[in-house]
Amino acid sequence: MSLLSIRDLSISFDTPRGMLEAVRHADLEVPAGASVGIVGESGSGKTVLSRAAMGLLHGSNVRSTGTVVFDGKELTAMTRVEVRKNFGTGMAMIFQDPMTALNPVRRIGSQISEGMIVQLGMDKKKAMARSEELLSLVRIPDPGATLRKFPYQLSGGMRQRVMIAIAIACSPKLLFADEPTTALDVTVQAQILQLLGDLRRDLGMAMVLVTHDLGVVAGNTDIVAVMYAGEIVERAPTRELFASMRMPYTEALLKSIPKIDMPSGKRLQVIEGRLPDPTDRPVGCGFAARCMYVQPKCIAEHPPLIHDGDDHLYRCWFPLEKK
Amino acid sequence: MRKFTIPTWFTIGWLGFVLFLAIFGSLLPLKPWEYVYENSLGVVPFSKGHLLGTDTNGYDLLSSVVNGARLSLFISLTAVGVGGLIGASLGIASAYVRGKFDTVVVTLFNVALSVPNLVLALALVSVLATNIDVNNPVPTWRRIVVLTAALTIVIIPILGRIARAATLSWTNREFVVAARSMGMRDRNIIIRHIVPNVMPSLIAVGFLAIGVVIIAEAALSLLGVGVPDGASWGAMIARGRNDLEYSPHVLYVPLVFLALTVISTNHLGDVLRSGLDRRESKI
Repeated sequence: MSLLSIRDLSISFDTPRGMLEAVRHADLEVPAGASVGIVGESGSGKTVLSRAAMGLLHGSNVRSTGTVVFDGKELTAMTRVEVRKNFGTGMAMIFQDPMTALNPVRRIGSQISEGMIVQLGMDKKKAMARSEELLSLVRIPDPGATLRKFPYQLSGGMRQRVMIAIAIACSPKLLFADEPTTALDVTVQAQILQLLGDLRRDLGMAMVLVTHDLGVVAGNTDIVAVMYAGEIVERAPTRELFASMRMPYTEALLKSIPKIDMPSGKRLQVIEGRLPDPTDRPVGCGFAARCMYVQPKCIAEHPPLIHDGDDHLYRCWFPLEKK
Repeated sequence: MRKFTIPTWFTIGWLGFVLFLAIFGSLLPLKPWEYVYENSLGVVPFSKGHLLGTDTNGYDLLSSVVNGARLSLFISLTAVGVGGLIGASLGIASAYVRGKFDTVVVTLFNVALSVPNLVLALALVSVLATNIDVNNPVPTWRRIVVLTAALTIVIIPILGRIARAATLSWTNREFVVAARSMGMRDRNIIIRHIVPNVMPSLIAVGFLAIGVVIIAEAALSLLGVGVPDGASWGAMIARGRNDLEYSPHVLYVPLVFLALTVISTNHLGDVLRSGLDRRESKI
């Protein structure tokens, strides 16, 4: 039984240019305690999918169909008050940019304790003491002094640690990490990912790691879902995916990572072209226009999600050979 | 907060001084401001017995200007305080809620702003507090109330728009989504996350607005619908406007007080804005 299961979830935004389909027919299971990666390039719908799964998308222009079941309860059928009760304690989110996700005019301590006061009904003093513990848990030196600091007094890595402390404050069962390391430099990235992995093990949380970096996913997840143009185009256990990917897009994504032993001066591999217009999706496969192996059928017909056993799913008419 | 510069200390000092005069002016050992000194008409400043001189009617200018501080400041602070509170609430709420409510509020603001400030205040005062019947004049207190209310109405859209614009830019920040993702209610998000960020720009414009209101009050007095009988700085200017040719000091005394006060509020607004803005002050 999965902790979170997303079934046939579609999200569109009603924009002046027409309906913008950000996520189409997404299916995803997150087992309790597991770590699931969502990979895709910018604009592929990963952030919208994770926010929709958490119940953070609302507004007059959002249209969604499909179901999200969390911990046995159907999130999509809940009222806003019930969804709110679930925030922090059930699901929590770490945001991409620690520069904008902290309020610049409030002290770190009050920002961390806020969630505990609201969701766990703690009093201020107790919440502050707990905040100090959380800061040392995310390995911030001198947590007592940090509580009284403002965000501008901390470096990017420290702020991301504070964001993590805020997210785990109410001991969520599932943690969404929306590109938690994108705004940080590489050494800090490694530390933050290490920290997230350790916290996940120690606290028994499940995690959804949203990123555009296949390298990040490889070392930190159990299951990977690759998104392209709003669809999950390939989904498999991480080991299986990297051993034999079936989707040409995943292969292209992996090839476009620069390698350290590449001769200098050699051009980086890129995926030519760009994502299809989200207000005007092509009839066939979304990747057809950029695919190396494109066939007439790819342009004419939309490929269904195909199971090949071994929990490996892909959305391609002419998949790569299984190794 | 960083140290204040000398001009800033000067403006703080001046505003403190004027505020002191407004509150405790009546307790100071000054000549009565309503008394006519028939033997010293139009005496120049620094004369014996009349430090700032008298006007051509024989009123002591020092006493008048101290007395005028009270009404000038009371009217402008009340108008900006009440107008700011109403305007900011409307602006923040409309920017946060969006939708139809926002459309209605913005339309109202735009309509109010499309009428020149002074004309709007003039219309309100002359309709609500002007004596049609010469034998039955409108009481002074009612005039002051209507005048203050009119200036408040002028201030509401000015500060309301600032609050709305600032709120719009802050509600799209990720920390608002982050606060929501931790289960904060909208009301708490507004009070704890939006308002502290909107305050700096609101305070800066609020101080500017104090200056605007002091001047508007003076202008209304000059047009004959302000406070009567030289009871505010504007009213003093209005009463002395005919003396400009032969006894210009009658105008200079209230004008200097008025100008210094307006310059001070403007300057202090600027200093407070950059001081309260924690990002700007440190990066």
